[in-house]
Amino acid sequence: MAELRLDGVVKRYGRTVALDGMSFEVGDGEFFCLLGPSSAGKTTTLRAIAGLEPLQAGSIAFAGREVTGAPVQGRGMAMIFQTFALYPHLSVRQNLAYPLARDGKARDEVRRRVDEVAELLRVGHTLERRPATLSGGEQQRVAIGRAIVRRPKLLLLDEPLTNLDAKLRHDMRTEFKRLHRELGMTMLYATPDQLEALTMAERVAVIRDGRVVQTAPPRDLYARPDSTYTAGMVGAPMMNLIQGRVRHAKGGATIELPFGALDAARWGDGLRAGDEVILGIRPHDVRLGSDPHALSLRAGVRLTEPLGDVTVLDLAARGAPLKMVLREEVASRLKEGGEVEVSFRPQDAHLFHKETGVRIG
Amino acid sequence: MAATSPDLRADAGAAPANGGFLGWFLAPERRGALLVTPALAVLFIMNIFPLLWSFGLSFFNFRANRQGVPDFVGLRFYERVLTDDDVWQRFQTTAVIVGSSVVLQLIIGFLLALMFAKEFPLRRILLMLVLTPMMLSFVSVGVFFKFYYEPTFGLVSWVVNHFTDERFVMLATPAGAIAGIVVADAWMWSPFVMLLVLAGLVSVPRYLYEAAEIDRASWWRRFSTITFPYIKSLLLLAVLFRTIETFKLFDVVYIITSGGPGTSTETIAVYVYRMAFQFFRTSQASALAYIVLFVVIVLTSLYLYAVRRRAEEVS
Repeated sequence: MAELRLDGVVKRYGRTVALDGMSFEVGDGEFFCLLGPSSAGKTTTLRAIAGLEPLQAGSIAFAGREVTGAPVQGRGMAMIFQTFALYPHLSVRQNLAYPLARDGKARDEVRRRVDEVAELLRVGHTLERRPATLSGGEQQRVAIGRAIVRRPKLLLLDEPLTNLDAKLRHDMRTEFKRLHRELGMTMLYATPDQLEALTMAERVAVIRDGRVVQTAPPRDLYARPDSTYTAGMVGAPMMNLIQGRVRHAKGGATIELPFGALDAARWGDGLRAGDEVILGIRPHDVRLGSDPHALSLRAGVRLTEPLGDVTVLDLAARGAPLKMVLREEVASRLKEGGEVEVSFRPQDAHLFHKETGVRIG
Repeated sequence: MAATSPDLRADAGAAPANGGFLGWFLAPERRGALLVTPALAVLFIMNIFPLLWSFGLSFFNFRANRQGVPDFVGLRFYERVLTDDDVWQRFQTTAVIVGSSVVLQLIIGFLLALMFAKEFPLRRILLMLVLTPMMLSFVSVGVFFKFYYEPTFGLVSWVVNHFTDERFVMLATPAGAIAGIVVADAWMWSPFVMLLVLAGLVSVPRYLYEAAEIDRASWWRRFSTITFPYIKSLLLLAVLFRTIETFKLFDVVYIITSGGPGTSTETIAVYVYRMAFQFFRTSQASALAYIVLFVVIVLTSLYLYAVRRRAEEVS
């Protein structure tokens, strides 16, 4: 049963449309991710769910209850803000105890819960300090602690890692996964970073201009993006998107690309001659060397970007840019300005309509 | 160029071609001092000299309406002033007026700030109107309120007379007179407190209130844990600044009651004035003025301390 359900939620600020019929469902105990670039409406969605934004249309149901228009306090959710929003004049202990005050719990009970959460998040040594004296990572963990201390049924996370450095982000990703497993609460996580979405979420909703364009588990999202939008958003380095045109020849349909023709038998009858298409191929699926069952081409090496274990190669084939990823040992033998023979197979390629960006087949 | 008008830097060492006294006098190394001199002269003549002179006078037996060479009397006037029951009486009156007025200003200023912290129609125009009293001169405020309290045609008496048959004379009783002064002073300066509090209120980040709302904090808890810490130091500034200013209150009192009835509204400032310019006990007035100055200096150091603390908190 869906724990949280958004149905056609519309939010406008003046003439700007922030949410344009946002709909999705999150299951009980699920780790659900909203993925989209900035100003796609992720934050507004979370704020609407929390009750901080009045809506123009649509409904929000939570735990089997309609909450549209209900006051913020009664919703039984907690939220982690991008800015952490710790109370600057209270100690870490008081910050952590803050959400418990309303429940009228005994002092011992509050103390015990705070200590428990502080230990879980490893901020026990900071309890008597003010938030401003903590490092970014510690502040982040206190913010998480304050959100989970009263064991909300739903935790809303608004880009919680954006303000942290790269190393800390990596650690915190693991931390969030661990917390989700240990606490078993429903988590709704907004992020512009595809890596965070892919590594943590059980399901991801890709957001564009205030609406969901695709919802899928990370693996499927990566393997079968619905549109060029999702294809460009998920996976790093970004998928190569190459313009082409469908052509019927004697041997069957092919897709004419700037650097050759790819056998289009895989897509069957769906293609009409003359259709403008965009072919997507992941840099990881471009191989070195030629292959009789694949499209082989010669390409110039424009730039190399060593990432340590692998290197991203920036190629150009007849003017069309193409990226590929190679293991470092292999890539180190290639020189910028040289030429390589590469190939990719039809079964690795993704095909989209040029005009609509929608996936074919 | 150099032939017709001398380079500004060239005349630094040697005298310029058109030299002479003026050239020497206006040399660049003297220009800074020259520009500052008029201001310093005014400051010295109008402030520093009278200050030192009156300080000296307070050790002599001098009366401004008598001729002759005054005797040196040492600290006798200080002793007399400090042991004078009348003086302590005036200090008490002043304390009552300061205390009630500052508290009233805080309450009204605070409520106004809470009101103006939110957006509403006509907010800017209303804000301007509310700030007007602060910009009026003391004399006009004094005259306004004198007319309000006027027993025959004043607004206050007119309203009260609708409810009672007795003639109501606001300034006839000591309590009424003090209340009259307090109301006038508070009316004038509540906007100032409001401005300070408003500055504190708008510096509170919105997301803190949102976080508190999600954390289910009550209105009072949001106020005490988020809002109040942000305006605390500004409130302290307001209290100290208004205390210092009200302590020196003269014009409004002088115009509305002239210290009456009897001496029941005679503040320390009015008392100093009367001692100096009605009874011509110039030296004794100087001694008292210096004691008042001492009190104000103590309050001011507290004020400056509070300012510094606020500056540290903000940075």
